[in-house]
Amino acid sequence: MLIVKDLSVQRLDKAIFENISLSLSPRNITILKGKNGSGKTTLLKAILNIIEPSFGSIYWKGKLLKKNLYDFYNHVTYIPDTTTSLKKLTIRDNINIWKKFFISDINNAQIETALKTLKLDNNLNKKVGTLSFGETKKLEFLRLIIENKNVWILDEPFSNLDDDSIELMKQTFEDHCANEGSIIFSSHQNPGIYVTEEMEL
Amino acid sequence: MKFLNKIIFFYFREYKLNMSGVQDILTNIIFFFVSIFIFIFSIGPDKETISLIGVGIVWTLLLLSSTLSLRKFYQDDFENGNLLIIHLNGLSFGFIAILKTFSHFLFVQVPFLLSIPIACVLLNIANDKLFYLLTSFGIASLTLSCLGSISSSMNLMNQRNYLLGSVIVMIFSVPIIIFSVSIINMEENFNSLINILFGILLIVFAINPWASGLCLKLSLENN
Repeated sequence: MLIVKDLSVQRLDKAIFENISLSLSPRNITILKGKNGSGKTTLLKAILNIIEPSFGSIYWKGKLLKKNLYDFYNHVTYIPDTTTSLKKLTIRDNINIWKKFFISDINNAQIETALKTLKLDNNLNKKVGTLSFGETKKLEFLRLIIENKNVWILDEPFSNLDDDSIELMKQTFEDHCANEGSIIFSSHQNPGIYVTEEMEL
Repeated sequence: MKFLNKIIFFYFREYKLNMSGVQDILTNIIFFFVSIFIFIFSIGPDKETISLIGVGIVWTLLLLSSTLSLRKFYQDDFENGNLLIIHLNGLSFGFIAILKTFSHFLFVQVPFLLSIPIACVLLNIANDKLFYLLTSFGIASLTLSCLGSISSSMNLMNQRNYLLGSVIVMIFSVPIIIFSVSIINMEENFNSLINILFGILLIVFAINPWASGLCLKLSLENN
């Protein structure tokens, strides 16, 4: 589905990473491991066509990504390491905005179940700015369910999460793969998730 | 249909965001009126003088007040990653710039448009000039929003000097001010001057998605 071939990114004549190749098929989970500044986020952004690679190419469904970009975007959900939820608004408002903006076919019952699982159901009218880091991170994951797309690209998904939430994420990853989904995520270390490909940067 | 829904719900998002920060809109309006009062107090109680320079005062303050909100144009969405998320939802950077420009026009400039009649009363501007003032600001404010979009997107790449964006807008708004004030003082040339203002709007409107879109892409690339 997604093939990254000999990808290199340079900034100011300094190589961030060189000759990275990976492929992502349905039911695959790829982890990008590495220290701070090793280029994990840069690679994810290059895959999303936000950063122009210096060398190499990316293919989506057999075509060059640039020529098939919006089809790729229709199949991908990206969760960056920042809080994309709008801090001035409540959890409920954020969910409503996402549901409408992403034209989600997820119904309210499914969202309520997800909120209960994430233990956010009692905070629906709380402003996102007042939530803890962990709660905000869990709210970000709700977008994965609302967007309901095949490919998940996640930047440091386990930072600020407690053990219970990490367990929950493991289960969510497995369920997504069982439904023909695929995941690429970056992390300093693997918190025990079964992965099909591990890449050290 | 899906694309149209995305646009509609983009504005639903903008509406929710602006309503949650309605105090920002009010602050702009308060700045506008407080500045008018300061002008009145500094000029003195002479009705004729105030009336003579009133239009110039209104235009200068409208320009200054609308540049106050420029920092927020893209900054919040850029910092929290929403710009990227909106782009990944299938909207190109150029199209995001167009949507954001209209959002700025609706939530920042339209409240000023509604405030102009009150400002005219305070500055003893004749009723017959109000129509010309509203028409010229209606067109020119959209031009200012386009210029604001370009300068704010450029500012994303220059995080150290936010005032630069306001300076750029003010320099490029000089011809807009000249023609807008001329409309009010040379009513017999209304049609030709309004056409010039439309022309400026169309030029800036055409450049805006290209220039802003490129700046947004570059700033996300270098972030």
